[in-house]
Amino acid sequence: METRQLEVAGTRTRRKDGVAKVTGRETFSSDVYLPGMMHAVVLRSPYPHAEVVDIDVSEAERMGAVCLTPFDVPDIVYNERTVSIPEKTYRDRTVLPKRVRHVGEAVAAVAHDTEELAMQAVSKIKVQYKELPYVLDAEEAMAERHGARLYDTVFLGEESIQVKNNIACERSIAVGDVEDGFRRADVTVESEFEAQRMYHAQMETKAAVCAPEPDGGITVWTTTQTIHNVRQLLGQIFNLPLHKVNVKRIALGGAFGSSIQMNSITPICVALALRAKRPVKLVTSREEDMYDHVKYPVKFWLKFGAQKDGRLVAAHMKALVDIGAHNIQAYPLLGCIAGWFASLYKFPNLLFEGKAVYTNKVPACAMQGYGNPQTNFAVESLMDMLAEELGIDPIQLRLMNYVGVGDEFWGQGPTVRSIIKSCGVEEMLSRGAAMIGWDRRVHPWQKSGDVVRGIGVARGFHTSGTGGPRPGEVIDYSSATIKVNEDGSVDLITPVMDQGGGTWEAAAKVVAEVLKVPLDMVGISPSDTRTTGYDVCTHATRGVYCGVGAVLHVAEQVRQKILEMAARILEQNPRDLSMERNEEIGQAVIYPTGLPDKFITLGEVAKTAQIKSWGTIAATDSYRQKNCPPCFVTHFVEVEVEKKTGRVRIVRAALLGDCGTPINPDMVKGQLVGGLCRGLAFALLEETAYDKSTGRLVCGGYLTDYKLPTACEMPAIDDIMVGFANTYEPTGPLGAKGIGEAALNSAASAIVNAIYNATGIRFKKLPVTPERMLEALREGVAR
Amino acid sequence: MMEGYAIELTVNGRRVCAEVRADETLLEFLRTQLRIIDAKLGCGKGDCGTCTVLLDGRPVKSCIVLAASADGKDVKTLSGMQEEPLIKALQESFVTHGAVQCGFCTPGMILTAASYLREHENPSRDDIRRALSGNLCRCTGYKKIVDATEAVAKRNT
Ligand code: FES
Ligand code: FES
Repeated sequence: METRQLEVAGTRTRRKDGVAKVTGRETFSSDVYLPGMMHAVVLRSPYPHAEVVDIDVSEAERMGAVCLTPFDVPDIVYNERTVSIPEKTYRDRTVLPKRVRHVGEAVAAVAHDTEELAMQAVSKIKVQYKELPYVLDAEEAMAERHGARLYDTVFLGEESIQVKNNIACERSIAVGDVEDGFRRADVTVESEFEAQRMYHAQMETKAAVCAPEPDGGITVWTTTQTIHNVRQLLGQIFNLPLHKVNVKRIALGGAFGSSIQMNSITPICVALALRAKRPVKLVTSREEDMYDHVKYPVKFWLKFGAQKDGRLVAAHMKALVDIGAHNIQAYPLLGCIAGWFASLYKFPNLLFEGKAVYTNKVPACAMQGYGNPQTNFAVESLMDMLAEELGIDPIQLRLMNYVGVGDEFWGQGPTVRSIIKSCGVEEMLSRGAAMIGWDRRVHPWQKSGDVVRGIGVARGFHTSGTGGPRPGEVIDYSSATIKVNEDGSVDLITPVMDQGGGTWEAAAKVVAEVLKVPLDMVGISPSDTRTTGYDVCTHATRGVYCGVGAVLHVAEQVRQKILEMAARILEQNPRDLSMERNEEIGQAVIYPTGLPDKFITLGEVAKTAQIKSWGTIAATDSYRQKNCPPCFVTHFVEVEVEKKTGRVRIVRAALLGDCGTPINPDMVKGQLVGGLCRGLAFALLEETAYDKSTGRLVCGGYLTDYKLPTACEMPAIDDIMVGFANTYEPTGPLGAKGIGEAALNSAASAIVNAIYNATGIRFKKLPVTPERMLEALREGVAR
Repeated sequence: MMEGYAIELTVNGRRVCAEVRADETLLEFLRTQLRIIDAKLGCGKGDCGTCTVLLDGRPVKSCIVLAASADGKDVKTLSGMQEEPLIKALQESFVTHGAVQCGFCTPGMILTAASYLREHENPSRDDIRRALSGNLCRCTGYKKIVDATEAVAKRNT
């Protein structure tokens, strides 16, 4: 494919939604106020596991509240995430459950004229629970003798299946012959690793507003990464035809995966609105949000075998995922963990064995990286251990074994694979090494004093979307509509959600690029499920590669139509016309090739087409990407460890990203720096700990007690260096791949490797809190 | 029902008389009674700073201030300060520095930055980071927010 000369894409621009955001005029779901709107409050379980025997709402109703209990909700068992094909989708939940399976699970809800009245009413609801044995630990949950059983049966597709020993699902994936591989290894290393339960902590808590419409339909504004999947699920649960379910696209105050699905409060809000026949708004408190979703915590056992020269010959991974009370996407997650594991280095023989286990804790769901940061932490830690065992430089060992151009990449587990066509791994390793000063790095045992520094490296990647040459277990396509207005401006209508990373901006830039219009002549139209074709979800780093890929596909069609209309006016063959951006006129201009003076503007073309009743220049289409190119990253980090306090600080970092053409270079940088911040949180700070005697969260719903990083925890700012690999992805829109999730994936691993280089202590459990550091130092694990 | 308090205050330059509950927070009052949505509810516990407003010129977390205690006072939110040069400069700087991702933290961040810059000349980056440390942002990693604030501080001095 051609490498185009880019004029708009790839340049720094002011983001279109910037003005609304800095003036506070951007509207988020919680900012939607409708006339006659009621406010909803949810009653949540104080018990980790209990049967709901009876609910008495009579007093709340006497106060004028509209109430909803598990006995009133549709009898539909659903999975809030519908990204996988139905036969691979597990279903285990209802809008409100007759059996609560974690503290904080919704039991009932009320709506009233004000939030205050709703609160008063909810406090009058009497629930009779029958407490059941509960289990908070995944290993205990699998024990034959344990009395806590979360489910007897669940659905897989349409089939009802038994749940044994709380095991939600298992997956085992092999390549080659791992035993034979290990037999041929000169050196083996193995270790356990543990990544914690982290909370998304998106700044906007989950919210929904639902307005019942006169025709019996509903209009919904809600925090979600996928308006179309929310629409389909609501249609199914409430038995409404889809044309009567309209979900509005609205700004999202961050998500990081927490809204990859239809949030549990959305159908609660809809059910209340349908009962009340009035609009209802439901905004969760921060504490409720913390009880809604967390990142998947994973325990790994990992073993590598290598030859003396450093070539990897075999690898074996076991992964145990504690999914909490619902199976949202554990099956595809296990496949993805296998894929992240299989695709970082070339293992000719490989075995993956994964298990996902129910516990009476907050349900886990995707969070930036979808198992990749966890897997990366295990793989990149063990790579450093292997490098030390072999006496090979960690960078060298990585260069010898990385998966690159021409190799197969598993973009979304074993069923979504494609061949890598662009790769900046070598460039990033060598440039990053120079940026951080890798040659200054010395062994931990050459360091002394109370404050020690260390340098670490880790490489990572993420997929760009979930498309492969053949459709796999994961649905992936997107749609777009583009129309040219009669003054030469352009409306772009896309169903794709933007989590804040700039997907809409990238889409507008691609339109401007292809149609040769100035960027400020492209408007991103408000949209909803009624006015757009399907888009699966803004997940899997697919916003730019797939969502904008569809925009490019449609923009090319519109370009063709423009040329055809212009040809009629200019009495030329469309093939003999050229299109150009004319900044002076502020329009695209079209002219017979070689005769630039004979131009007409795009506005003239569109206006003429309208006056002569030729029609509107517009196109709508869907598009599926048939690849899932990895966007690579490399993190180099220098840390400082204070031995007296156990505190770890990041003093410098070099972040390198390979996203093909960076369509929004500024925003790509922003993603990399933001990724470092969340990586630091993952490595050093955050964990949702449980009180074992109550099943409650220890942080009590406080973000500060949960230890979210503030501006002060970031490195002294000048010392974050950011670089892009110079690559072009032939299958991507204008050469682009994704970046979003990759930006995080190897950040924590690099920090942990740097801590080892500083102290000689290999941390295998995250987060490395000051307490854990002090304990390790006391135990004298250091050499 | 709970007893109401009559309060009289200035909000974004407008005189407002209203009745509030004893336990009604300033944030709730601004959002639900006055429909001023640029002050956001990120936590309701004083942790995140998305609800920052100016009370008699000083930044407060309005989710932990009682509306009744604002009686007789002057309240300003970001949307009421669009004409102030320092606010304008920060807004412009946030956009050009890419300090905005999802934007949920942005109004509070800009108000806090403005209040700080108004009283401190020539702050170091570290000073700025400390000044902003009561406002959480999950998206940006703070770097560009500090960059944007610093750029305005430099122009100011
Ligand atoms: S909402 Fe007030 S500090 Fe978070
Ligand atoms: S930009 Fe999203 S929280 Fe700050």
